[in-house]
Amino acid sequence: MMVSAGTLHVVSTELTVGAFAMAGLAFLLAGLSSHGLLGLQRHLNLMDHVAHFALAFGLLAMPMAILTGIQASPGEGIDHPLLINKMLLASASFGLAFGVLLSRRTHGVTLWDDTWGSRWQTMGGMAASGLILATASIGGTFSRGESLLDMFHLPYEQVPIFPIWLSGIIVMMALANLAMMRRSNA
Amino acid sequence: MNRLTTLSIVFLLLFAPTLGSANPNGVGEGTFDAQCGGACHGDADMNKSSSSIVTVEAPDTVYEGLLTSVSITVEQIETTQTGLLGIFLLSSMNGAGDTPSDQGWSIVSNSGGGSENYVEVTVNPGQSKHTVTWTLRAPSVGTYALHGAIHHGGQDGSDAPFFGASNTPASIDVQTVPEDLPRLDEAFNPPVERTVGEGTTVELTTQFVEGLRVEWRVAGGEPQEVPATANGDETWSFELPASLQPSVIEWRAHLSGEGPEQTTPWFQLKSEEPKWSVDETTAYVQSIAMLLAFMAGFMALQHRTSSPSKAYEDDMFEEGGEA
Repeated sequence: MMVSAGTLHVVSTELTVGAFAMAGLAFLLAGLSSHGLLGLQRHLNLMDHVAHFALAFGLLAMPMAILTGIQASPGEGIDHPLLINKMLLASASFGLAFGVLLSRRTHGVTLWDDTWGSRWQTMGGMAASGLILATASIGGTFSRGESLLDMFHLPYEQVPIFPIWLSGIIVMMALANLAMMRRSNA
Repeated sequence: MNRLTTLSIVFLLLFAPTLGSANPNGVGEGTFDAQCGGACHGDADMNKSSSSIVTVEAPDTVYEGLLTSVSITVEQIETTQTGLLGIFLLSSMNGAGDTPSDQGWSIVSNSGGGSENYVEVTVNPGQSKHTVTWTLRAPSVGTYALHGAIHHGGQDGSDAPFFGASNTPASIDVQTVPEDLPRLDEAFNPPVERTVGEGTTVELTTQFVEGLRVEWRVAGGEPQEVPATANGDETWSFELPASLQPSVIEWRAHLSGEGPEQTTPWFQLKSEEPKWSVDETTAYVQSIAMLLAFMAGFMALQHRTSSPSKAYEDDMFEEGGEA
């Protein structure tokens, strides 16, 4: 019995979205507990681990979701504004989630001791989760014509495409930034 | 290293069924040999015979270099829930080198709006019959055979690809064009596609034609006549009305002159919503740019806010910690 790309896509998407949704919630709770809110202080360590583990698992599942999605999509290439927006949002989410994980790896758990460090970590993790949920919502709109986030009337059909030179400059700046941070850490 | 190898093997195994399976979402229109009926589905030996009936209809006689139409009708359609059905027009059933162009035919259009020998259609639930029509320019003088073939999936749970073909091919005798036969100019190529809401002015060039009548119809509907204007030496023009939604209209011309009156085949003109397109390279580069920008941006933000810590050495998320 062969498993089609469509079925594998559903499985891998559910893994990704589920993991990111859990990470998003755990980041929120970790943020609250790092600020001593709702009496969650003693759960900070637990929330920190759950949030980053779930985020890492979501990142591992994401490439499979992307590959099976490409195989399952009708026609050739990315010839629909929804597909482009999916790709851009997924890339942004992947980058943000990876940055969140690397920051946690670099700064350790003391990251939560710093007021703004914990805020950024919370917002970064939640934003990555939000971007993935928006990506999944676009997938639902593309395949079924509707999704849960339709109530927000998000402009899925509008594609913000940069000129290629601008994308090139952004890539250069990002790489330079990473190199400088690495040097200053060394 | 061992962990990486195991992960890679598991990852490849996960994809193995997908890569080896058929293309349940179709392969899109294209120029394909019949072998693709097997190749597109992995191993041709895995094919099952389709129970659908495939018939080819074509005129017995056509003239060299002139246009003619050939139809393939599929009856007793059985396919997957998605209704995808692939239909081939072939010049032989050899499995290779068997597209009509291999025998000198030139496909001008098909009713799917393209100009390839393989058309993929979506059959509606309950629909048991479907016809696809090709407009072809005839090759040099001789006798030719044209076959129809199909492939599709099934709902028997086997996930096997099904392949079927016409029992008897259409035999077409291509003859030399009589000297004064009223006809379309060999350089004329009918339009095959347009945008919804746009009217179409067709400019015809003819040979040995003194009078011209044009009819159009919504595919399969009642023909209506449209006035044609003579623009000078063997050139004519006429207007086809705009369509309000994606659809196919057909038109044909009755050509009169000194020779016997001729009627062209029905030409299909497909109207579609304006196509959306984007430079894929630009999109991919922007995608990479956004990935790196978000990653570097966030890390820079945290870098400014917090200083790297060497505490919590046993923490699994920390550099040097155990994973």
